[in-house]
Amino acid sequence: QLERGCALHTAARDGLSPVPSQDVPAERPRAVFHTSESDPAKHTEQHEGRLYNIPLEEVKAVFPHGLPHRFQQQIQTFNEARVMVRKPALELLAYLKGSNLAHPAVRYVIYGERGTGKTMTLCHVVHYCSRQGWLVLHIPDAHLWVKNCKELFQSSYNKQRLDQPLQASVWLKNFKTSNERFLQEIKTQKKYMWGKRESTEEGRPLREVVEQGLARVRSASDAVGVVLREIKQQSHRGAFRLLVAVDGVNALWGQTTLRKEDKSPVSPEELTLVHNLRKMLRNDWSGGAIVTTLSQTGSLFKPSSAYTPQELLGKEGFDALDPFVPIPVPNYSPREFESCYGYYLERKWLQHEKAHTEDGKAELRFLSGSNPRQLDRLAGPL
Amino acid sequence: RIMPVRWSRYNPSYLEPEVKKELYQKPLEELTEEEREQMEHKAVRPIKAAPPTLSSSVFSDPTISKFTNMMMKSGNKVLARSLMSQTLEAIKRKQLEKYHKAPENEKETIECNPYVIFHQALKNCQPIIGLSNITKGGKTYQVPVPLTDNRKRFLAMKWLITECRENKHRRTMMPEKLSQELLLAFNNEGPVIKRKHVLHKMAEANRAYAHFRWW
Repeated sequence: QLERGCALHTAARDGLSPVPSQDVPAERPRAVFHTSESDPAKHTEQHEGRLYNIPLEEVKAVFPHGLPHRFQQQIQTFNEARVMVRKPALELLAYLKGSNLAHPAVRYVIYGERGTGKTMTLCHVVHYCSRQGWLVLHIPDAHLWVKNCKELFQSSYNKQRLDQPLQASVWLKNFKTSNERFLQEIKTQKKYMWGKRESTEEGRPLREVVEQGLARVRSASDAVGVVLREIKQQSHRGAFRLLVAVDGVNALWGQTTLRKEDKSPVSPEELTLVHNLRKMLRNDWSGGAIVTTLSQTGSLFKPSSAYTPQELLGKEGFDALDPFVPIPVPNYSPREFESCYGYYLERKWLQHEKAHTEDGKAELRFLSGSNPRQLDRLAGPL
Repeated sequence: RIMPVRWSRYNPSYLEPEVKKELYQKPLEELTEEEREQMEHKAVRPIKAAPPTLSSSVFSDPTISKFTNMMMKSGNKVLARSLMSQTLEAIKRKQLEKYHKAPENEKETIECNPYVIFHQALKNCQPIIGLSNITKGGKTYQVPVPLTDNRKRFLAMKWLITECRENKHRRTMMPEKLSQELLLAFNNEGPVIKRKHVLHKMAEANRAYAHFRWW
């Protein structure tokens, strides 16, 4: 077991800079592609291509939703959560560290081809921000809000809009798990009426609004709207820093597959959740950052070869998100591929005898084209 | 190897395609006389088209391909292959979870390689002796008969697939059920092994008719 772990492939040996002693502790020699640095704030170019560990309790607290399904299965099988440190993530972290919070929020759009690691980059950034104590508003997949909705009600607040109680309540539950202490500290600034009898007074902690949304599922979407509005208004004071992380942001400006009762199509701005989220993504507030990901996989009515912001967002979305900082995410570099392959070998994920040979590795590299998702799917049955 | 010659539409001068990479990478000096002659022939004679199942990948396995073909319905090889890969992955996940939770001394006994499990399970399911219907004097008797290797393999695969298709809940997916059955067969338990034992017992009960066999 140890020989496989310590095997250094020639390409990796050339690419890796001399390793300082604290990264590879002498008492338990883990291979070169691991790093013991589990705080994303201290990740630098030296850690590029290496995998860092997130303790499992932290995974449950920080990511109640948001991790890709295959990664969650991998966490369960290997009993640990290892995320690779890659260049786009390091770039984003450097921007976030150097950003001035008095200025309006900067928008970052992570884009790339299918399966290159956009969601994982977003998760890395979310982990960093939650470690630094930011309030994280993580929407795992905006596409889930514009398709396959079983219950659509007319909103009581605005007659033209439509409510989605199920999606809103699920999101509120996960939001509560990840940001417990902020909900206690932030107070409402206005009185909100939920229907004829229930109301939330001014100055009550936000947790009551969230509980109201969870208890009365009918008003869950309005509760989400209230939460977003309060957070946005109070973020410039500096009591907390806000990160808005949206995965699949192109869903907010595309088309939906939902229909009203008279079979007419619903456009995204007629949905309360989408409307409120769009207000959040405008850069008219300060004291934080907005990090978004484009995603073709869940998108509606978009060709499968589309991956650039122009194609996926459309004119409306691009104008709404314009100016943004684009961050492309490429396939694995040779070093990252070595690292991933070594990790699978060490965790005994690659069981086929031929997978340990050079021929097998060359074949995996060729068949997957160094695409992370393809490599994961290929290595599954092997 | 016996080549199918009777119904083949190819001219006999056509040669079989050679897929193994090692033969082409050998330098000229290491080849024996026959191999050198064969290489010269390849330069002159035409070569048959390679069938789509022939693969030069190091990961291809003929038993797995045969099993995938048997699982295939109405030519949908894409679906059959994806089901097969999901099955292998499911087996691997289950075994790895057990492996990581087991104490140190038991770790060596747990087999994690899905291919080893598949081959062993198939071997455990293969019957040793089969029954054949022989009509003598107007009555049909079930006569115990030795089986060829191909027939044994075919029966084992057929039983596994029919078992997984019929005796499962409507909502269970095929890879999940197949992985369950393969793991049970690997440990010599499960309905397929029972079916094999039932066949053996029938053959043992009909021992008296064994002399009806004339081959």
